[in-house]
Formats: sequence, C-alpha cells, structure tokens
Amino acid sequence: MNVLKLVARNLLSRKGRFLFTLLGITIGMASFVALMSIGQNMRNEVTAQAYSLGGNFVIVPDDLCVFNQIGIITGDAISERLDFAEFEKIAAIEGLDVIPHLTRRMMIYNPTAGAQQPTTVTGILPAETKTFRNWDMYAGEYFSSQDHEAIIIGQGIMNRFDLGVGDELEVRRGEMFTVVGILASTSSNDDTNVFMPLSVAQRVFDREGSVSYMSATVDDMARFDYFYASIHSVANNVNVATNEQLLGAVLTIIGSVNVTLQAVAGVALIAAAFGIINTMMTAVYERRREIGIMRAIGGRSSVIFRIFVIESGLYGLLGGILGIVVGIIVSVFAAPIIQGDEMLMGLEAGVNIDAVLIVSAIGFSLVISILSGLFPAWKASKLTPVEAIS
Amino acid sequence: MSDCIIRVENLEKIYGKSSVKTYALKGINMQIPRGSFSCIIGKSGHGKSTLMQLIGGLDRATSGNVFIDGVNISDLSDAKLSELRAKKIGFVFQFFNLLENLSALENIQIAMMFGGVPAKEQKKAEDLLKLVGLFDKAAAKPNELSGGQQQKISIARALANDPDVLLMDEPTGNLDSESEKDVMEHIYNVHKTGKTIVMVTHNNELAKQAEHVFEIYDGKLKVV
Ligand SMILES: Nc1ncnc2c1ncn2[C@@H]1O[C@H](COP(=O)(O)OP(=O)(O)OP(=O)(O)O)[C@@H](O)[C@H]1O
Ligand SMILES: [Mg+2]
Repeated sequence: MNVLKLVARNLLSRKGRFLFTLLGITIGMASFVALMSIGQNMRNEVTAQAYSLGGNFVIVPDDLCVFNQIGIITGDAISERLDFAEFEKIAAIEGLDVIPHLTRRMMIYNPTAGAQQPTTVTGILPAETKTFRNWDMYAGEYFSSQDHEAIIIGQGIMNRFDLGVGDELEVRRGEMFTVVGILASTSSNDDTNVFMPLSVAQRVFDREGSVSYMSATVDDMARFDYFYASIHSVANNVNVATNEQLLGAVLTIIGSVNVTLQAVAGVALIAAAFGIINTMMTAVYERRREIGIMRAIGGRSSVIFRIFVIESGLYGLLGGILGIVVGIIVSVFAAPIIQGDEMLMGLEAGVNIDAVLIVSAIGFSLVISILSGLFPAWKASKLTPVEAIS
Repeated sequence: MSDCIIRVENLEKIYGKSSVKTYALKGINMQIPRGSFSCIIGKSGHGKSTLMQLIGGLDRATSGNVFIDGVNISDLSDAKLSELRAKKIGFVFQFFNLLENLSALENIQIAMMFGGVPAKEQKKAEDLLKLVGLFDKAAAKPNELSGGQQQKISIARALANDPDVLLMDEPTGNLDSESEKDVMEHIYNVHKTGKTIVMVTHNNELAKQAEHVFEIYDGKLKVV
C-alpha cells in the first residue's frame, strides 16, 4: 500500500462522481486546447505567408488601413488605388526590384460544395513576377507575352475547384479565359490565387493604369532607410510597410481574437475548477470517518493533505490529457468550417498542436486542479481523529 | 516506576465550549505496568472511552498528563503524536473502523504505510492475517466479513507496526458470545507475546481475568 494506490482506490470506489468531475475538467481543457490550436495555427499561417510574399516590403496606398493590409497577407483582394505611373518611377530606383499587383475578386464554381465561391485574381507582369517569385510550372505552360489572354492558377485552386489545363473560367461576367498552366506549389498564398497578365486584368476590370500594391525587394536591407526615402521622394500617396510591420499589424488583430477565444475557454476552465472544489469538499465531508480512522491509526495530517491534493491533481492530469485528445478532435472538425470563412479564405486553416501546447495545457490543468484541491485538503487534514470518528 | 509503561496524572477532559460543558474526566491518576493485562469498567457515559482516547493520543486533555514509556504525550506536536499512534500504540474500536474501500489485507498495509514501512516491505501484513486466522479473506472488503472477522482484522491492523501497547475500547461489545470467545482468544494470545493490553469492557467475566481492573465512576477512578 502506498499513497498513490490509496488515491486510485478512493477515486475508483466512487466511479460516477469521478467520471462527472473528470468530464467537467475535460470539457474545459478541450475547449481551451481547441481554441488555442486554431489560434496558433492562424498565427503560423500568417507568419509563413508574410515571409513568402517574395519581397522584403510592400508599397501600398498611403490611406490603406491596417485592416485592409491583412488582404496582402491572406491573399485577399485589396482596392487598386496606386497609379501604374508610380510603379514606373519606383522601379527606376537603382538597387530596388519591384513588381506590381492588381487584385480583384472572382467567383469559381466549386463542384464539391455545389456553389460559387470567391477567390482572388491577380494581375501581374508575367516575366518580372516569374523571376521575382521563383515560380515553376506544375502543368501546362506559362504566359507567352505581356498581353496573353489566359490565366494560370495555383495548385490550391486546382485542387479546391477540381480544375485542369484547358478549363475555362469566367473571370468577370462575359469574360471567359482558358487555364493555360498550373504553378508548382509555393506553399504561399500564390497557391490559392488565379493569375493573369496585368494589362489584361486592367482591361477586364476597367482599371487601366491602376495597381493595388507592389512587392519590393532590395539588394541590401541595411540600406532600407535610403530606399524608403527614395520611394517617398519619387512617388506620391504611397506608404512603405515592411513584411515585419504587416505581420505585426495582422498578428495584433489575430491576437485580440485569440484573447477573446481564450477568455471563453478560461470561463469553462474556471467552471471545471469549481467542479473539482465541490467534489473534493463533498469528499472531505463524506469521508470524515475515513479520515478520522486514518488519523487514528497513525496517518499524519501531512499525509492526509497529500492524499487529497494528489486526488484532485489526478483529476487535472487525466482531465488535461483527455481534454487535449478531445480538443484535437474538435479542432480537426472545426478546421474546415474556419476554412470556409471568406475573410480567411487564403489561409490553410488547420490544426496546430505542438509539444509546447500539450505540455502547457497539461501543466495548466494540473495547477488549476491542485489549487482547487488545496482548501478541501487542508480542511481534511485539520480534522482530529476523535471528532472525525464520532 | 520504570516498569509502568502508561502513567496518567490528574487527567481532566471537558467537552464543549462555554454554555454546555461536559466534565467527562475529573482528575484521573493511574499507572499500568509493562506487559500487563488491564481492564477498565464502568457505567455507560462515565468516561471510559474518553480516557482511552486520551491515553491513545486520539484527543488532547484539557489538563493533566499522559506518559507513554516516560514521554509526556501532552507535549508532543501533532506529527509526533501521529507517529506515536502509528508505531507505539495499537487501537481497537468497538465498531471496528476498518476502511470500507480497502480489502482486509490493505487495511493492515495502510497502517504499515502510516508507520513508514515502504510498500515492498509490507509482506508482514499477510503474517498478521494468518495470526488471526483470516489469510483466506485477504481480498475481502469489510462489508463481506462478519463482525467477529472484522474485529480480528482490526486487531491485526493494530499490530501492524508491532506496538508496545494495545488499547481496546469494548472490542467484543458488538459481537455475539461465540465471536466474543473467538476474538478474546486472539487477544489473550497477543498478550502472551508481551504486549501491554488495556481493554474497556462491560463484561464482568472478562474483567475478572485481568491482572488489573480500574473502575471509572463519574469521571473519577474508583478503587476496586
Ligand atoms: N466528542 C464529545 N463531545 C461532547 N461530549 C462528549 C464527547 N464524547 C463523549 N462525551 C461525553 O463525555 C462523557 C463520557 O463519555 P464516554 O464516551 O467517555 O463514556 P463511556 O464510559 O465510554 O460510555 P459507553 O460505555 O457508553 O461507551 C459522556 O457524558 C459523553 O456524553
Ligand atoms: Mg465508550
């Protein structure tokens, strides 16, 4: 006989109570883990995509708010308010490699969903962008000229909408284009984009002479301040944002969403903690006699205290482990629903469970349950043998 | 004096606070020689159990002292008192007080655990079961045992850490005469191994067989 075996006996001899208390903390932990993993996944996706933009910074209209800048990272369309003329001035700066983008929305029929779904179509300078982005072809061929009337799609679009080379898409009402090629996967939001030559896009969408934003890269980031000044001196109404700045802005927004989600999970956890306190207090009351007997035959109050703390700690440990398992299952089922959200359509929603999350979730659950057990355990240990038995 | 393992001095116990006070013990003095078999008799409610609990360190006196083997247990800390209960004293209750969740064997093992014996070295619990003739009931839970069997398990439990003193508060008070004889048989056998036994009883036949008899009347000792 040792303390652990005794605790196991105590828990298992009250199976119903044990299971329901465990269920409480499991639900609390599961919601916590699910929300954390979904949130963490968003962060990771956004970070990965910010670094895959291909440039060290972007040039955007100076009145573009932070919220709209998310579009650049998630691959959503942002309004086209930059002049192509500004692009040409900026492109002339020595040591600066810059490409323009014109982004618009289009609808594609998704045979799986049985409905039209929105995606982003981007006008690009074919030759410059291919070099800038290091693109390879997965199938078909690349644009043959600056005004090739055709589209190229990312692999994500191919899979999602079940498309292949030779398929026709209606980019805008009455404007049918043939898919001539499919890009090799870049693991960036290029995978979930439809591309066409910039001049063709400008014509189709009646946006002659306009672009949405530019991606830029410099030979030496140490000279960033110089380029920053140069860009502002040659171009008007533009703002320069480094990828880090964009990322920071987006992460701030995601962060505040996460805080809200975690607060909800926190409430669930607090409820679970009170469940443990309640169970343990009831146990102390019910088991007065048992505690008294243990004290009478020589059990020290510190041992009684330990028995009760371990009992409640076990709730936390088991609840934490079960909560992680259930939380993972929930986030796996929730991922496609999040994927369907328009605002996040460029993001591969998924589950992100790493060792840190698992360890911290179990640790957290353990700490909460031990804290919940302290008061009941203290009450139990303070019973004198005689008052407990009689 | 040194052969008195238990010495009680001016022991008083008052239950309750302010308004409803019960004067359970009103100054008891007694000495119990090492290795003796003593009985405490007296009418119901006159303080026998209270005295046993104070000698056994289950409760603290209002005033006065209890010496066990020369140690004044009134001075002991809570932890030291627990250790005394675990190792030096075995207590047997009228209503057995076995732990219901645990098997007969485990009830003995848990007492060994409290005595600081690690799980691997708790084999002796089986020998104690054999001693009381219940080795075949090792896995039985208390509610699967008769009253007499439960009391024999609780005697085995009291012996778990080989204590010098066994305190028994009406160990056969809840048993039929058949079981009483059986249980007393085991108690006499335990006494033969050199243990000091103090037993509360209402049975005068049993008291007659004791070396010393103390009668408690209204919280005081009546010389017999
Ligand atoms: N925990 C307690 N709180 C208050 N009063 C108590 C307590 N325990 C005992 N008493 C009182 O102290 C007195 C002595 O009780 P005690 O149990 O020692 O008697 P006893 O001689 O063992 O009786 P019995 O033969 O019925 O077991 C009684 O008046 C009883 O009501
Ligand atoms: Mg009594």
